[in-house]
Amino acid sequence: MQVTIDGRALEVAPATTVLEAIRQLGGDVPTLCFDERQAAFGACRVCLVGLEGAKGPVPACTTPCADGMVIDTEDATARRVVSAVVELVLSELPAPPGEHTELAAVARELGIGDELRWTGAQHERRHDERHPYLAFQHELCISCGRCIRACDEVQGAFALTATGRGFHANVTAGLDAGFRNSTCVSCGACSDTCPTDAITEITLLHMSDGPQ
Amino acid sequence: MDARGEITDEDRRLAAEASGLPEATVYGVSTFYDDLLAPRGARHVRVCTGTACFAAAADAHVDAMRDALGLALGERSADGSVSLAETVCLGFCHSSPAIRDGDRIDAGPGVVERVLGGATAEAAEPEWASVLEEPVLIRPGDWSGLAHALAELEPEELLAEVKQADARGRGGAGFPAGHKWEFARRSPGEQKFIVANGDEGDPGSYIDKYLMERNPALVLEGMALAGYAVGAEHGFVLCRSEYPRSMPALEAAAQAAREAGWLGEDIAGSGFDFDVTIMEGAGSYIIGEDTALLACIEGLRGTVSARPPYPAERGLFGMPTVVNNTETLVNAPFIAMHGAEAYRALSPAGSPGTKLVCFNERFARPGVYEVRFGTPMRELCEELAGGLIDGHRIKAIQIGGPLGGILPASRLDVAFDFDALKAEGCMVGHGGILAFDEQTDMRAVARHLLRFGAHESCGKCFPCRIGLFRALEMFAGEQPVERARLEPLLETLELASLCGHGSGMPAPIRSLVAHFPDELGLV
Repeated sequence: MQVTIDGRALEVAPATTVLEAIRQLGGDVPTLCFDERQAAFGACRVCLVGLEGAKGPVPACTTPCADGMVIDTEDATARRVVSAVVELVLSELPAPPGEHTELAAVARELGIGDELRWTGAQHERRHDERHPYLAFQHELCISCGRCIRACDEVQGAFALTATGRGFHANVTAGLDAGFRNSTCVSCGACSDTCPTDAITEITLLHMSDGPQ
Repeated sequence: MDARGEITDEDRRLAAEASGLPEATVYGVSTFYDDLLAPRGARHVRVCTGTACFAAAADAHVDAMRDALGLALGERSADGSVSLAETVCLGFCHSSPAIRDGDRIDAGPGVVERVLGGATAEAAEPEWASVLEEPVLIRPGDWSGLAHALAELEPEELLAEVKQADARGRGGAGFPAGHKWEFARRSPGEQKFIVANGDEGDPGSYIDKYLMERNPALVLEGMALAGYAVGAEHGFVLCRSEYPRSMPALEAAAQAAREAGWLGEDIAGSGFDFDVTIMEGAGSYIIGEDTALLACIEGLRGTVSARPPYPAERGLFGMPTVVNNTETLVNAPFIAMHGAEAYRALSPAGSPGTKLVCFNERFARPGVYEVRFGTPMRELCEELAGGLIDGHRIKAIQIGGPLGGILPASRLDVAFDFDALKAEGCMVGHGGILAFDEQTDMRAVARHLLRFGAHESCGKCFPCRIGLFRALEMFAGEQPVERARLEPLLETLELASLCGHGSGMPAPIRSLVAHFPDELGLV
């Protein structure tokens, strides 16, 4: 089947997603909850693109290509809405994300500065540093679910879960008593995929604080 | 929830062992559902904070209970004797405000005094009636539609009739039931399932409650017909824990049907097998969404999944699954018996079929009514339901649940139908008709709806998870609300949310902005 992305035609295999097609053409759109090693999740809504004939923007990661689709990755409505979503995400963090994180990179790419249109309650600081290698800064968690899927799909350890709901959603290990008291096997797949440094390897966490 | 009145890690370990789920998964589930969160005292009192109770008492009953018990919502007394929590909604919207004391639900004037005085009474169930001479949806189920279909129609023929009848989903989204059934029938799968969505979470609605408790046989008959048309041998009904009378009524009806040979193997000698499992939720509005409902039935957190795959293709336990609202299903026996043409003729001035609506306590004659599509809203509100009580006047009505737009009194001449209401920024939705009287503070309505929306967000997609909370914060105090900040927030919710919850919550807010801008404090 054939799709057209930003004016360029592309032949794609069945079951190809719009995001995969965009990347096959060498293009890209920002993502936060997507990790190519994992099943698409469709939570962050940051990969929204314009689709001709659709009522509104569609998420590139969970939308399968259909023959004749015409995609616009620069669709003005999609860009406007995606910027708003990322502003909302930044507004729930008590401190800006580290410069090197994926979240910071996406914010830069979208031209989002320090001035946020919506502010209010933020996640409460809560740290778990009981594990020898892994640290969890819960206030930096944006519930993208990548760590949970890495643990479930890649490692098969099933040590992590989403918790709460709505604005109070977060992630925790085991029965919320830290990585040490869970089925965590210390593989580091969660910290590797985390886009905000909510989960980090302890050595990296301390390096970012400066010399110990 | 055990004798201690709260869930402990020991309970979670036991649940993990019994279910085979990872401990972390069980922990996640235990932090999702309202019923599992609030600690329970020897006496557990839940105040209804649904929209009908808000419209009746502006939450005065909540404050009164809080003050009298000296407890915050979600708190248990130090001696463990009593606990207080909120619940949305108990489905006694015809007799608000409502309070649940253990499993006894009391409602109406004097409820606070009765509950505090240890004299909690059982509230009366609502009245019901049909404007049709021969009711379709409130006719007691007698399995005649299934008997007729098994004797006279091949599954494909029944499917064709349901498609031809153009019965649209009655749960809110209005998706054609026949298309859903066909999709599931054509999808390959070792097994297929029919799920009756009885998670009627809409504050202000008690239609499914009526069906599940007063006419459960018709719900089960509709499920069996769906099973016959789709090729499914098993169904699940997910009813709500907020309706303690629903599950026993459905269980009893299922048992009676098994004994009469309408459920089980080789029904009426046709070779068709079908049986059902009745389940109860644990306090979550969002599990009314199809994919979240299936997650709940599987024992998981009730979060929404991206589509595709659609449940009709890959649903419960990965199998093709039809998820229909209970009211959608009760249309099937009539279609099976009388055919699509008769069904389409039921509402000469509107969409095919009939619809159950229900009215809140502000009306003179609240109850469940079967009405024809195309009837003017004014006729429904003023003639059928008798206008408001005690000389009150309608200020505005909300139709179809918390995601439905709000119609000001000046626009009541619109017809009750899918397209006509859509043109007013409203919807048929699930059919709850909820009046706010002239005393209602419309900014408080916005706050009430957004509080509900933010609380019930499953927390998966970012726009809904954060956006509804920020919208609530904008309306929380008395400060002016800047249109320049509200508008892009509503647009983001509408266009970026994963499911109808986030994308639908702006509709009533937009109505309030359009019709009551001054009261909202917009600048």
